[in-house]
Amino acid sequence: MQNVAVAPSVDLLEVFQTRNGSVFQSDSKKCWYVDFAGHNNRFDYRSIMKLRKAIYGIDIEALLLNSDKAPDLEIVFICACDHCYVLTLLEIIAFKELIEGTFVMLELNRILHDRVYSLAV
Amino acid sequence: MKDIIRVKCLLSTEVEKLLNQQIKKEAQASSAYLAMASWCNQHGYDFSSDYFFKQSDEERQHQLKLYKYVLDMGGTAISPEISNIKIEYNSFREVFEEALDQEISVTQSLKNIAANCHKEQDYITVEFLNWFFKEQREEEYKARRALELFDVIGEEGTGRWQIDKHVGGIVYDSEA
Repeated sequence: MQNVAVAPSVDLLEVFQTRNGSVFQSDSKKCWYVDFAGHNNRFDYRSIMKLRKAIYGIDIEALLLNSDKAPDLEIVFICACDHCYVLTLLEIIAFKELIEGTFVMLELNRILHDRVYSLAV
Repeated sequence: MKDIIRVKCLLSTEVEKLLNQQIKKEAQASSAYLAMASWCNQHGYDFSSDYFFKQSDEERQHQLKLYKYVLDMGGTAISPEISNIKIEYNSFREVFEEALDQEISVTQSLKNIAANCHKEQDYITVEFLNWFFKEQREEEYKARRALELFDVIGEEGTGRWQIDKHVGGIVYDSEA
């Protein structure tokens, strides 16, 4: 797994934050930095879309009801992306909350651009 | 904060999802028409079989048109998985009833996408969909005309043979 150390910079704008993690956007590099479970990983457009799909695709209810003796871990692997997460059930719930909140904020940003900024230009 | 997602992709997540669902629907329609062509051929309805082969090709072209549009706009086009295609029919008439039902369902689905696009002010996709709406006029017309042959000619005696002969001649040439 590749961890990217990111020095605080004016370029990074906070998109969403929870008690467990945060997501920042870099306008100049056109990417996002996801800080979660001790890792700060860089995601471009394609890979953050894949991350969202992977996280939304986890059936949390099925994991909660699962009575197997198998460890309570889920590996989130994103194809053609350097990052891989090994998460416990509680971490998955927290990660999903972070990703959902991030995309709500990005959608809000899109609406603002669509309705306000584009008309003001 | 820049809208990076918008820079990369013209389509919203919702419209992209709906277009991918439509791609699947067109692929299912293409497979269903192929099954109808097979059934008609097996039962000796050659003209109807040819008609459904052509319809299957058209649906495939619709699927590819949508597929390319999603890609051209920066979205992710998903190659659909098709299963549970009905291959047995109780009667010659039932084949055409199902064909019309299928076309109506496709039209409704396209209307739903356009309604969402209007809500989001995605007029680019609305303009793209206009071609499909015109196409659906023809598709529904042909399916309805084919089914009406069963009432006009009747199935008694050599009726089904006559119906089959006339199915191949259905054309929609309205310029309106």
